[in-house]
Formats: sequence, structure tokens, C-alpha cells
Amino acid sequence: MGMTRELKLAIYSKMFLAQRWETTLLRLIEQGMVSGIYHAGRGHEGAEVGAVMALRDDDYLFYDHRGCAHIIAKGVDLVALYGDFLGNCSGSTHGLGAGIVHVCDPARGIMGQSGTLGRGQLLAAGAALSAYLRETDQVAMHFFGDGAANVGTFHEAANVAGAWKLPLVFVVQNNGWAVSVPVSHATGGGGFARRADAYGMAGVMVDGSDAFAVYAAAAEAVARARRGDGATIIEAKVTRMRGHFEGDAEKYRPSKAERDDAATDPVLITRNRLLAEAILSEDALQALEADIQQKLESALRQAKQADMPTRARIFDGIYV
Amino acid sequence: MSRTITMGAALREALLEEMERDPRVFIMGEDVGAMGGVFGVTHGLQKRFGKKRVIDTPISEMFIVGGGVGAAITGLRPVVELQFADFLYNAADEVLAKMAKWRYMHGGNVTVPMVLRLPAGAMGGVGAEHSQCPEAMLLQAPGLHVVVPSTPRDAKGLLKSAIRNDNPVCFFEHKAMYQITGEVPDEEYTIPLGTADIKHEGRDVSIITWGRMAHIAMSVAEAAKKRDISVEVVDVRCLQPLDLETILRSVRKTGRVIISHEASKTGGAGAEIAALIAENALEALQGPIRRVCGPDAPIPQSQHLEKLWLPNSGDLLQAVEEAMR
Repeated sequence: MGMTRELKLAIYSKMFLAQRWETTLLRLIEQGMVSGIYHAGRGHEGAEVGAVMALRDDDYLFYDHRGCAHIIAKGVDLVALYGDFLGNCSGSTHGLGAGIVHVCDPARGIMGQSGTLGRGQLLAAGAALSAYLRETDQVAMHFFGDGAANVGTFHEAANVAGAWKLPLVFVVQNNGWAVSVPVSHATGGGGFARRADAYGMAGVMVDGSDAFAVYAAAAEAVARARRGDGATIIEAKVTRMRGHFEGDAEKYRPSKAERDDAATDPVLITRNRLLAEAILSEDALQALEADIQQKLESALRQAKQADMPTRARIFDGIYV
Repeated sequence: MSRTITMGAALREALLEEMERDPRVFIMGEDVGAMGGVFGVTHGLQKRFGKKRVIDTPISEMFIVGGGVGAAITGLRPVVELQFADFLYNAADEVLAKMAKWRYMHGGNVTVPMVLRLPAGAMGGVGAEHSQCPEAMLLQAPGLHVVVPSTPRDAKGLLKSAIRNDNPVCFFEHKAMYQITGEVPDEEYTIPLGTADIKHEGRDVSIITWGRMAHIAMSVAEAAKKRDISVEVVDVRCLQPLDLETILRSVRKTGRVIISHEASKTGGAGAEIAALIAENALEALQGPIRRVCGPDAPIPQSQHLEKLWLPNSGDLLQAVEEAMR
């Protein structure tokens, strides 16, 4: 499968953007400017960006709480994203979101996130059903972790997706940890992708640190969905490089020093591949990264200027 | 001009007319297609509109509601059905969080135009898990509208409004009322959500009620007439939005209040209405607010005991007489 130089570059750019964005967010958290709890996505950039880059603008994305690389790849407005974490009026939710955000931008197909785990599977299946009923060729993609794959909602959603051949792509981000519980304790069988067969879906296992491989798997799944040939479960093996949430002491697993996270760091791996494949020189990469950094700083500056909402915001938009 | 039809037929007319009016409206639920619903409400609709607009689902209540939300935020207007209102508990997160709050949580950037039909109430000995009227639990979920019609005319007009409404609407239908008959206009009409209806005018006592209890209240109003007591029956029709103005007007007129619903008394919606009356019109009351409701006990399977469980006209008439003492 031939991926163009431009596509590989676009994937890396989004991954770097997501990783740098998260770095700036962590600084804001340290500065006490973000309320609520953030679940860092470091280590998941390859799976999230690789898969989303296979979507069109009008395809639906139901994302998860693990970082923001998926919504960044789908083109979320960076000022609005910062605004949601700062909880001010520049956010996509106009002041409601902070910590675990509910960024929503239907024009870009960003349909939201379920705070309760697993339930997004149902909504994504519903959106896929909607595309089928409206006879469009849109696809719904949903991200969730190995933890949420064990919620009962998975069964109800996967069952209809298989029975009705819905245009749906489930991306299971298997980082091996459901908060503190290892996947080996929580889940039997030979992996999440293998469940697909029983539901009448296609199943594929992919190395989530290889963003290009994730893209290839997602492109195939999206094409299958678009042709009306049904749903896919992509299981991407990834490394959760930080705690479940910021502030997690992580006493339940080997410390960072005892692990070799760099070996599976998708941002590093992808960067090295661009160099090895001579897609971009070191100098050109640095220039690209500096440009992204600047874009982020400018978005953050702009977001910081917005006002905090007043109490009236609480009562706004409960009903149409 | 009008006709006399059953409530089931009135609901079916509302569904049919709205599906003809708007191609985005579709039906989804258990046994709603080929069978036409276990209570027959969707009978014939799949034949008329096809399998893509009247969809039989697997036994998957979480998907029925959650999938409905997914379809609603992507351009359709689902009318989904839980076969029994009790199944709200099976899909509680989908109803209380996803249907009610998805729009709000996501900053108002999407709307959730869907209707959840909920056959409710005790009838036919279907037991503790298929007989409840769980409307009060929904009042804790801002974002939902809650409709509880009592007549074929109201059921049709309110369902049509619910389907056209851009907010999520939970629509209760008492199972014992599908076969009751009533006048329904021939011409097109809708009834706005949030408007109570004075089903019987009176001066002495207000019975504030909804659903099946509204019929019992009407019979009690007739019986009370023979005792020279003039009863006003306020059928609230919607619990959210609640037409508090009409309720308070009646309370201020009569000064005596009985609130009656089939759901168990403790934590029922009547408690909220009693509190609202106390907050807003305590000075108008000539005596304590009374409640005639289902008992705080599970609904027994036995039809013999089910009948004894249900609040009846004797209970309600007694409360009217006590209020007048």
C-alpha cells in the first residue's frame, strides 16, 4: 500500500502537534489553570492520529478521554480546545468543559465523548445506523480503551454493527491497563480484535506505535465500511506513557525508570522513519516543528484572553 | 368533525402522520416491525414505510436508546420504544445522561431530537418489573421533557408535538389505556407540551393528576357531585415542562388539593408538585395537601393482588370527603 510522502508528513505533523499540545497543557495544569482531571494521551498518538487520518471531514468521530490526538487530527480548532481546558468562553462548550472535555464540532464530524465508559459505543453505532438509513457513505469511528471494551455496551453495539453491517470502525486502544487493572487480569481470550469474528465484523490487530500501520489498517476498515461491507474492530497495542490521570502515583505498575517507553514512543518512531526514509531532513523537520510550536503558542495566547463564564452559563442550553 | 378511536389507534395515527410529514422520522424498538409492537401501536407501519423506517432491534435496551441518540445527533428524528417503561432502568445511563445531557455537555453544538415511548403502568399481572410508572426518576434529569397523556386526543396531539420538538421527550403510555376510546379530531392538530388541561371544572377540591388516574379522578368528580362536592380535575399531561400556572390557579380557586398518581407515593412526582404548591400558594390552602398514590410496595404478580395494589376511586373519593370535612 503506497502512502504518499505528503500523507506521512501530515500524520507526523498531527502527532507532533498533539504531543506538543499536551506538553503545553501539562504546564497549564502545573500552573493551576485547568480544573478537573486530565488523562494524558502520551504514547497513544500513533493510534489516534493514524486512524483518524483515514477519515473524511464528514465522517463521525466519537473519541475517548485518552489525550486529544484524535480530535486534533480531526481538525479541532486549537483556540477552542485550549478554551475548553481553561474553562473559558473561547472553548467549544463556551465555558462548560475542563479536564475531561466534551469538545464538539459537528461541522468537522467531532460528535463528542461519553463521560461514562463504553456508552460511546452505542452512540457511534447509532451514528453509523443513521448514515446507513440516510444512504450516505459516511463512516463512524469510535475510540475506547481495553477497559471500556469490557462494558456491556460493547456487546449491544458490536452485535447490531455485525448483524446490520453498519459503517462503523471501533478502535480499541489496548494500553494494557484499565486504570490500575492489567488487561491480563480483566480479559480472557486472545485479544479484542478476535472478538470481531463472533460478531460478524472484521478484526485486525495493529502495532499502535507504528502510525503508518495504523493508518493502513484504518484506511482498509473505512473503505470496507463505505462500500457497505460492514464494521471493523481495530485493536491497537499502545503504551500508556503517563499515569491513568495526572497525579496518579502508579504504584500498581513498574516505574518509568524500570520501563522502556521510548522503544514504543510513536512520535519518536515516526520522526525517525521520516528521517530514515529521507522524507524530510533534520533541519526541515526542526523547521516544521518550530512552526507547529509557534502555532500552538499563538492559539494559547488567544485562548487565554477570553472571559470566564458567569453563573448564567449553567442554565444556558439545557433545552433548545 | 371528530371520530371515536382507541388510544392505541390515536398514537398510531400520530406516528403515521409524522412519518409521512418528515422523512427523518423513524421507529426503532423490540418487536415494533413485523409484529407491530406487543401492544399493537406500530401495527402496519413497517408494511407501509419499509424496514428502514420501522426497525426491529435485538433485545438491547442500551442500544435502543443510545443508538437513538447517535442517530438523533446525526440528522434523524428517532422515535424509539422501550417495550416496558420499567426498562428505563436497563438503559438508565442512556436516558438520564446521553439523551438528557449530550446537548448540554457538548456546549449546545448538537441537538437530540428524539422521542422515547414508554408503555407503563400496572395491567394484566405482568409483575413487579413490568408494571411501574417510573416518571419521577426522569425529573432529576434536566434536558428531558416528560409527557403523560390520558386520552386518545391528548395522546395524538402531544405525540405529534413531541416528534416535532428538538429536545428529547420521554412519552409515557399507560398499558391499560391503549384500548380506551375517545373523540379525536379529524383534522390535523397538535397540543403544545407543557399545557395542563382542566378535564372537569369544579369549585371545592382540586385533584391534580395524570395518566390513568385522570380517568379515575373523572369518575370521582361525578360521584362527588351527588354529595354536593364540586371537584376540579387538573390533568397535567406533562411533568416537564410543568404547567404550574394552571395548577396554582386551580389551587387558589378551590383551596383544597389532592394529588393522585399511580406510581408509589414516596419520591413520586406528586411530592414535587406538593412542594411547589407549598412554596407558591400555601396561603390559599384550607387544609393539608393530600396524596392518593400507589403504595410503597412492589406491584405483585397476581392479578388479584395487583388490583388491590392500585389506587382506586374509593381511595380518591374518601380523600375528597376528608378534604371537605
